[in-house]
Amino acid sequence: MIKQYYAKFLIIAAVIGLCIWQIYPPQKKIKRGLDLQGGVQVVLEVAETEQDEHIISDLADRALEIIRNRIDALGITEPVIQKQGTDRIVIDLPGVQDPDKAIDIIGQTALLEFKLVSDDPALIKSALDGNIPEGYQLLYTKEKDERGIERETHPLLIKAEPELTGRYIKDAYLGYESSGFPYVTLELNKEGAVLFEAITGQNPNRQLAIVLDGVVKSAPVIKERISGGKAQITGRFSTEEARTLAIVLRAGALPAKMEIVYREVVGPTLGKENIIQGLRAAIYGGLIVAVFMVIYYSVFGLLANFALALNILILLGVVAMLKGVMTLPGIAGVALTCGMAVDANVIIFERIKEELKTGKSPKAAIDAGYKRAWTAIIDSNITTIIVGVILFFLGDGPIKGFGLTLSIGILANLFTAVFATKTIVDWVMLSRKIEKVRI
Amino acid sequence: MEIIKDPKINFLGKRKIAYIFSCVVIVWGFVVLAMRGQDIFGVDFVGGDMLNIEFKQSVTVSEVREAIRGLNIGTYSVQLLGTEGKELVVKSAPNTSKRILEMMESSYGVNNEDFFVKGESSVSPSMSSSLKKKAFYAFLFGMIGILFYITVRFEFRFAVAATLAIFHDMFFVVAVLAITNQQIDATVIAALLTIAGYSVNNTVIIFDRVRENLRKTRSDDYFTLFNKSINETLTRTILTTLTTLFVVFLLYLVGGETLRIFSFSLLVGLIIGTISSLFIASAIIFDWHKWKPHRFKV
Repeated sequence: MIKQYYAKFLIIAAVIGLCIWQIYPPQKKIKRGLDLQGGVQVVLEVAETEQDEHIISDLADRALEIIRNRIDALGITEPVIQKQGTDRIVIDLPGVQDPDKAIDIIGQTALLEFKLVSDDPALIKSALDGNIPEGYQLLYTKEKDERGIERETHPLLIKAEPELTGRYIKDAYLGYESSGFPYVTLELNKEGAVLFEAITGQNPNRQLAIVLDGVVKSAPVIKERISGGKAQITGRFSTEEARTLAIVLRAGALPAKMEIVYREVVGPTLGKENIIQGLRAAIYGGLIVAVFMVIYYSVFGLLANFALALNILILLGVVAMLKGVMTLPGIAGVALTCGMAVDANVIIFERIKEELKTGKSPKAAIDAGYKRAWTAIIDSNITTIIVGVILFFLGDGPIKGFGLTLSIGILANLFTAVFATKTIVDWVMLSRKIEKVRI
Repeated sequence: MEIIKDPKINFLGKRKIAYIFSCVVIVWGFVVLAMRGQDIFGVDFVGGDMLNIEFKQSVTVSEVREAIRGLNIGTYSVQLLGTEGKELVVKSAPNTSKRILEMMESSYGVNNEDFFVKGESSVSPSMSSSLKKKAFYAFLFGMIGILFYITVRFEFRFAVAATLAIFHDMFFVVAVLAITNQQIDATVIAALLTIAGYSVNNTVIIFDRVRENLRKTRSDDYFTLFNKSINETLTRTILTTLTTLFVVFLLYLVGGETLRIFSFSLLVGLIIGTISSLFIASAIIFDWHKWKPHRFKV
């Protein structure tokens, strides 16, 4: 009989172990929102600048590539750049001290240029030694290594004067060769086609760098004179890379107008204050609840407290696992979960009391208590989860964090208060002869 | 330990007092709300700039107000945080925070030395209108979800009563915020939805007992049945409300300024949510039954 509990205890132990492994060390594993670590959040609204011949519908994607390109160039660690709906972009720049500079750089209009790459070995050598020739600039192509980490690798000596700019581009799109490799088709407008034919005719076998806001995105080799204004860029890129290149080209052709519609700057001191105050409230709150439960339910109160501790552990573990962001309202969600976590146990314990009053034996009363409390617990928790899930999906930023912790907290509550405590109670009842329970 | 031994409180009998009390507070609050107009909404709901500034020396609200008035930048508000009189929150019309900072530099010394900006935000009108839209949808879908779930698990009338009780709680909290002269911002919406979840949680626990008692009896003396169910679950209602209140009260006391309005709304909502679960949710079903009799099948 005892054996069947081993499996259950094993599950509980496994959950505890898994969660600790996910959380430890918390400074690294739990991502803090901007309100807790300081930084800048900017929301941009993008709009089409000029609607010529055709409308390209990937407005936000284009703007996103441009912004990503710039923020990567700024070297900000762990930026979060996301699309929101069809015309908004949310940018989180944690730890940024000078928000105005970052915002200025993000807000500029995109500049896409086609520049010839020098193939003169003597010039390249002198440039690498530090003497960059007049009218040239030294840029590095960024390549991803096998682990997907960007590294500055290949130096390119590039003519400073562009051959073509984004305004000569009509469109760019992704295609596939018959062998399955992706390529990008570049379409130029009438003027662009004439210019492009001349450039490609004069510079066979040279590289033409595609430069977005001063960053080399690609540097294909000109194979032949291209007339008719339609060129294909082939190479060893993945579909994702080819898609990004096409978006970059389109972005350069039709730079989206970007307007800052929301900006929030949290100074580092405010972030620190928020953490300290939030945590303090959560810890004190949890302690008071724990003390209260022991005073009211004695041994069973300890049981509820074990469930409470387990609940918080699971909650933090899942947040870490889902790479969720802990915000200040998120901490409030954890604190609130403490208050509600004991609810399921209160319902069960009160029910056990009622069952005991009808003259049932302790074991029968406990079984009946857990069983009858179940419908109340499940119905009340699901209604609360409905709210939590909606907050998570419809809310932004801090509110999303709150919805996340609230939902996970309630789900964890079902596991801890019902499964975990019942296992312990059953095991105790079985291993010792208990004639009377005080609850 | 027991809080109350075998409570036999006539909750349903006091429902009219509860109705009147709620109506008075809500009507009063909404009159205040109408009079205060746009003023009551935080920058994230109407668009505008917000500056959070900490000074080396303490300042008074009136002198800062006076200084900003000289700028002629339309409506604004200045609020003191904490007790030392060194931290201020200034809310103003869109794109005006720069001018306020310039003024601060000329009247209070060097930025980052004599005072520094702890935080700032700026919300454009188009962003705020989409925030409002989102809040509305969150609320709408939340209500539909709850209505649907309770209809499936209980009965349509129970679902309507629970939803009405939620509306009541939210209106009540908004009314209290208006009366106590606080601002409604995006965190209040999160608080309101949490209150919705919490209040319906309390209500459902009582309904669960009503459901159980309905299955045990053939009598249609719903007055007694509802009262009995509320009393049977009363200890649990009080205990859970207490434990959650401890936490929310601490959040309000030591959670810091950023969470102040949020935790205040939760505090009010928790209390009124419990009251509505006890005195209003079941009472609505009972009064509905009195108006149009109905045999519950649950």
